[in-house]
Amino acid sequence: MEEKQGYHPVPQPEELTNKEKDDAMGGYLMMFAALAVGLPLPIINLIASIIYYNINKKNSRFVRFHTYQAMLSQLPLTVLNAVCVGWALRILVSDEWHPNAIFAGYALMLLVANIVYIVFGIISAVKASKGRMYYYWIFGPIAYERVFAIKDEPVREQPVNMPPRI
Amino acid sequence: MKLTITHQESYSRGELLLRSFFGFIYMIFPHAFIMLFCNIWSAILAFISWWAILFTGRYPQSFFEYQVKIIRWSVRLTARMRNLVDGYPAFMPAGSDDRTNVEVAYPENLSRGVLLLRAFFGGIYVILPHAFILFFRSIWGAILSFIAWWAVLFTGRYPESMHRFQVETIRWGARVNLYMSNMTDTYPAFNGRE
Repeated sequence: MEEKQGYHPVPQPEELTNKEKDDAMGGYLMMFAALAVGLPLPIINLIASIIYYNINKKNSRFVRFHTYQAMLSQLPLTVLNAVCVGWALRILVSDEWHPNAIFAGYALMLLVANIVYIVFGIISAVKASKGRMYYYWIFGPIAYERVFAIKDEPVREQPVNMPPRI
Repeated sequence: MKLTITHQESYSRGELLLRSFFGFIYMIFPHAFIMLFCNIWSAILAFISWWAILFTGRYPQSFFEYQVKIIRWSVRLTARMRNLVDGYPAFMPAGSDDRTNVEVAYPENLSRGVLLLRAFFGGIYVILPHAFILFFRSIWGAILSFIAWWAVLFTGRYPESMHRFQVETIRWGARVNLYMSNMTDTYPAFNGRE
């Protein structure tokens, strides 16, 4: 396959070290962070993903791509999960709110979404651990564009730092 | 694993008194506060590593290095709290110290069988026997620590045999911790010798 113009070449598995593969895999496994802490708060997974991305953003493009994709993919599910947790808490606390068919439908939809996410998360973690690229729908191209696109450095006409005037 | 805490020729009486009376405010509290967050991260990495070892047979190297840095930080703080060395411990996992050192070799492969054995029966065959002995050793360590405190106050020297005993207790505990954290497959020895 041809390399895309204006993009850095995509690394091949044999060019990557085990450490890079492990680091890339770790990004997807951050979806289990809330389990590790023992709190059913979906935001913990997102926070862990953001921290992990920031730790690894100076790492190689392969690691950066996977950790960025993992972080982006956490966003919508975190919002949906947070709504569900908030809704459930409201039902538990308030006398005016009761579980209804809408809540049941929403929770069921979310259960399926979470299972799908976990399955895809594990597939991507395994691929990353083998040094393979794996593109999610929507998030994959965004992450690729951000990490692999060759950005033109802004040409600075006037230097910012100058020697002292004597 | 190599864990060393330097035995100084002489100890500062001023620092000893400062640590004893205000150590909680200027040393333990700020370190514990930051360490809390770093330990949460460490717990997340440890949990994820467990699964990584189960599926790949390897502890992710970056995660491993972070855990070693946390152990180093904990050792340099413990060494000061127990008056084993002078000086203020460096903050953060990346901090360095010339009086304490911890080296842990990165294991290329870890056994999945041992991983499962440890997860299900670690409490029985690791924690129970080691904690039993370490409990009594710690009581003796506390008594020695009290005696050494006076020795440092009056002579400015920490008795070497007492210092060695304290370091060996810390080393022993660190080995158990290392084994239970899935960072090595070597069963911890029932002593604290190097």
